[in-house]
Amino acid sequence: MNFETVIGIELHCELKTKTKMFSSAPVSFGARSNSCVNEIDLGHPGTLPCLNKKAVELAIRACTATNCTIDSLVKFDRKNYYYTDLPKGFQITQQFHPIGSNGYVIIDVEGEQKKVRLNRIHMEEDTAKQFHYSDGTYVDYNRSGIPLIEIVTEADMRSGKEAAAYVEKMRNILYYLGVSDGKMEEGSMRCDVNVSIRPVGSEKFGTKTEIKNLNSISNVQKAIEVEVERQKEEIEAGREIIQATYRFDEATRKTVMMRKKEGAVDYKYFPEPNIFPIQLDLNWIKKIQEEMPEVPEQRKARYEKEYGLSEYDISVLIANKDVSDFYDAVMKHTTNAKLAANWVITELLSILNKNNVDITNAKIQPVHLASMVDMIAKDEISGKQAKEVFVDVVEGKDPKAVIEAKGMKQVSDSSALLAIINSVLDEQPQSIQDYKNGKDRAIGFLVGQVMKKSKGQANPKMTNQLLLQEIAKR
Amino acid sequence: MDMHMMKMSRVATEMHAREALEKAKAVQPKLNAMVTFCEVDEQLENLKNIDTNAKLYGMPIVLKDNINTKGILTTASSNILGNYIPVYNAHIVDKLQAAGAIVIGKTSMDELGMGGTNLSAATGPVYNPYDLNRISGGSSGGSAVMVSSGVVPFALGTDTGDSVRKPASYNNIIGVKPTYGRISRYGVIPYASSLDHVGYFTRSVRDAALALEVLAGRDDRDMTSSYLPVEEYTAKATGEVSGVKVAVIKNIMDMASDELKTQTNTLMEQLRAKGAVVEEVTMNEDLLKACLAVYFVISNCEATANHSNLDGIRFGVQYGENSYEDIMTKSRTAGFSTLIRKRFVIGSFGLADENQERLLRKAQKVRRLIVEEMHRVLGEFDAIVAPASLHGAPLLDATSDQLSLEYLIAENYMCMANFSGDPSMTIPYATVEGLPVGLNITCSAFNEAGMFNLAKAIEDVTGLCDVVKEVL
Amino acid sequence: MNKYDKEFLRKLANQLMFDMTDEELENVQAEFVVLEKQLELLEAINTDGVEEMIYPFEAPTSFMREDEVDNVLSVEDALKNAKTARQDFIVLPRVVK
Repeated sequence: MNFETVIGIELHCELKTKTKMFSSAPVSFGARSNSCVNEIDLGHPGTLPCLNKKAVELAIRACTATNCTIDSLVKFDRKNYYYTDLPKGFQITQQFHPIGSNGYVIIDVEGEQKKVRLNRIHMEEDTAKQFHYSDGTYVDYNRSGIPLIEIVTEADMRSGKEAAAYVEKMRNILYYLGVSDGKMEEGSMRCDVNVSIRPVGSEKFGTKTEIKNLNSISNVQKAIEVEVERQKEEIEAGREIIQATYRFDEATRKTVMMRKKEGAVDYKYFPEPNIFPIQLDLNWIKKIQEEMPEVPEQRKARYEKEYGLSEYDISVLIANKDVSDFYDAVMKHTTNAKLAANWVITELLSILNKNNVDITNAKIQPVHLASMVDMIAKDEISGKQAKEVFVDVVEGKDPKAVIEAKGMKQVSDSSALLAIINSVLDEQPQSIQDYKNGKDRAIGFLVGQVMKKSKGQANPKMTNQLLLQEIAKR
Repeated sequence: MDMHMMKMSRVATEMHAREALEKAKAVQPKLNAMVTFCEVDEQLENLKNIDTNAKLYGMPIVLKDNINTKGILTTASSNILGNYIPVYNAHIVDKLQAAGAIVIGKTSMDELGMGGTNLSAATGPVYNPYDLNRISGGSSGGSAVMVSSGVVPFALGTDTGDSVRKPASYNNIIGVKPTYGRISRYGVIPYASSLDHVGYFTRSVRDAALALEVLAGRDDRDMTSSYLPVEEYTAKATGEVSGVKVAVIKNIMDMASDELKTQTNTLMEQLRAKGAVVEEVTMNEDLLKACLAVYFVISNCEATANHSNLDGIRFGVQYGENSYEDIMTKSRTAGFSTLIRKRFVIGSFGLADENQERLLRKAQKVRRLIVEEMHRVLGEFDAIVAPASLHGAPLLDATSDQLSLEYLIAENYMCMANFSGDPSMTIPYATVEGLPVGLNITCSAFNEAGMFNLAKAIEDVTGLCDVVKEVL
Repeated sequence: MNKYDKEFLRKLANQLMFDMTDEELENVQAEFVVLEKQLELLEAINTDGVEEMIYPFEAPTSFMREDEVDNVLSVEDALKNAKTARQDFIVLPRVVK
């Protein structure tokens, strides 16, 4: 039997704010355990939530970039359950009135474009982080209360590849917008996938399973692919798919059942009485939307239109926002767009990769690369020289100073060049004769002699030109 | 003594605070009102940094034990918080101390505020100074009796159904529940968030007005707190009521004894003599009857969620050891009385998906109809009044916090003002079978000034100002 | 059959992370009988087309907190009410996942 795969995805993204969703305690990664909390994050008696404006702003950016309808009347609800990572015994979320709904994103899969519809984007708060050791579970409340958005798709994806493309797309958008770090490995973006299969042509959805906590985009694809295989085997063996939650075991490349889902859990949702509905100022929303950072598509269009870069160059640059941001910074100081793109893509990235340095931590200054690119364009240095200079530029040095120190400056002054050329011609009458007899190669020999005499600093293009001019005079 | 008259020297102030603390300790064997006595030395030392003209300079006060005090045991009279030392002050504690108040102790209450008798406190019942065989009323019982027995002139309570106004009636003192949002709830251990109010007790209208000047005001940490400016309530409470329109709830008067009716009618005549327009008004009986059910359902649904944080893990008394489920279950079983666990079961039942329409949402809809009915009356009148109770405080062994089958409108109607958030207070005025009974006054939202003004007129004619019932 | 049988109520209690004795459950059963009577009073009131009233005041608000760090506890204060704290963490029996 031929099956069709049906996939829906829930993404939880931590928002890039300075403070928590409902408390003014700091958000800080890698801080001392339980040093970024106050009484609200610990769920102490008598505490009340107070909504972070920046979190709402970031949620609005996410909604806007994903074409969601924004509900300007913000309301929150309580989701009630007992667990060790949930200090209040309830999570404040937006069950009944999500800030965003009915959105979509377009994904690219193997050259094909596909629309993935978003059911909703809602705001909520993160739980505490637990570490399970042999002598007990250690709880760190620093994560408790960090602002989250949950992005829920419709069941629109049909393969692991599409799912991976969707997650990558969302991660890129959210990162470009400054909404979230999107670091799946570190848990700032968490992905749960709902997977089912059905016979091709069937309208009815099959029983779905949920794969939780996928920690990389490649694992999203792998996990779905093995889960789909598992479900096919079950069905072909005449067994039922059991509704359950799975995790993906990287080592064995298998999905492993964590728990069965027996009936829907009743979270006893009800409106949060401590937060009156908040009417967002429509002008504020408009301002946020007008001042939104570029999303990848917009940047792609700008690179095409303003810089005329090739599709390949653009795709390499925007695949990593930090690289693309660096390129933009370089372009503030030069107009040689293609050359600058070449240097960023080929030379810079390969050196950084080799040294295992992230571009955000690199010492190189955009203005230095720009000035080097300009010198190349003006033939002030040769490409070969530039490569030598670049080793120091990557270390944060000014190319002009490097060239000065190394005495590399090309001789482009025609009177100085003429003097060298004429002295070479005086020494090589045979070559002049050879050239005049039709041996074109003789000119190469003469250029070489000029280079030698100038210790490699003669501008090759000018040398060629002036040589011809001087030979003609003889 | 009236607290606004207390402009004393520093030495006299110190003596006064220490005397109040001594008296609180002396009456404890009789009233059992205190959970914790506070040290006053450091607070008196801090007074040096406070302007002697501060509104409560040197004033000894007590706080209901659900009001968080940094570094001082705060139990909400529940075993589960029997060791809880808050790491922060409630907003109002900071405000009171900045105004010069000296906190001499924390008072007993019904466990987590969830009762009307003060019988459910972990430290046992609080006794009524007017008859030690009778209840103080609750849930703010400890604070009420500390004011009525003359230990302090002013005490903080909280009011979710009538938890300040009912004990005030039983104790012949003033009990105020201002408008929802008038006083920040930050740091006050909740019962039911959409009904909870900070309230307080005094023995004079002037003190009641002064207290609100100190307590009221916007606090960004409580998103439901109001931006409206705090008024000079003391200056506005003149007792001038000419033209003030007062509605007496006829449904309740019809059920009153002749003894209470006579005294109520006399008071209304006296107000008419001052120029007030007093009329009896019949309210929708079905809605009045539904008040208790609406209150019971909404308060228990909210409470069960509000108290889910009490699990013995991050704070509170912890039992169990095998697993987190074991810890939570044993801590919560031992930490809450039967009554509280029963309420949580009912609240959780009301929140369940399959029941929410029939319980919580239905109660919330009827809440709206009750509030509309109140606002119909308040659209025509400046105040709604009625006896806070038809009787004085019940005997200790004749009452309980079991849900009643009787539809006692007169004993349960005051929670209307919690539904609507409108300001409401109780003021002494009558004696029934030898026991004090108060009059409840409810006005439109944020019209505390009008409410205090009417109260002042009543106080002027009854002469029941600064009444103390000594128990020593 | 009583729709509020003891096992049903015990399950409700256990979902709320506490136990109740048989005697306590009988007490709860009795209260549910009274509650049902009270609910009849609500059911007698026509609420067709009436919206739930969730908050005392329903005019929308506009205040939101600026994203500035204001109130942080010391690690000591954060942990001092917990029964078991080690190495800056609150520690529980190992939670089996």
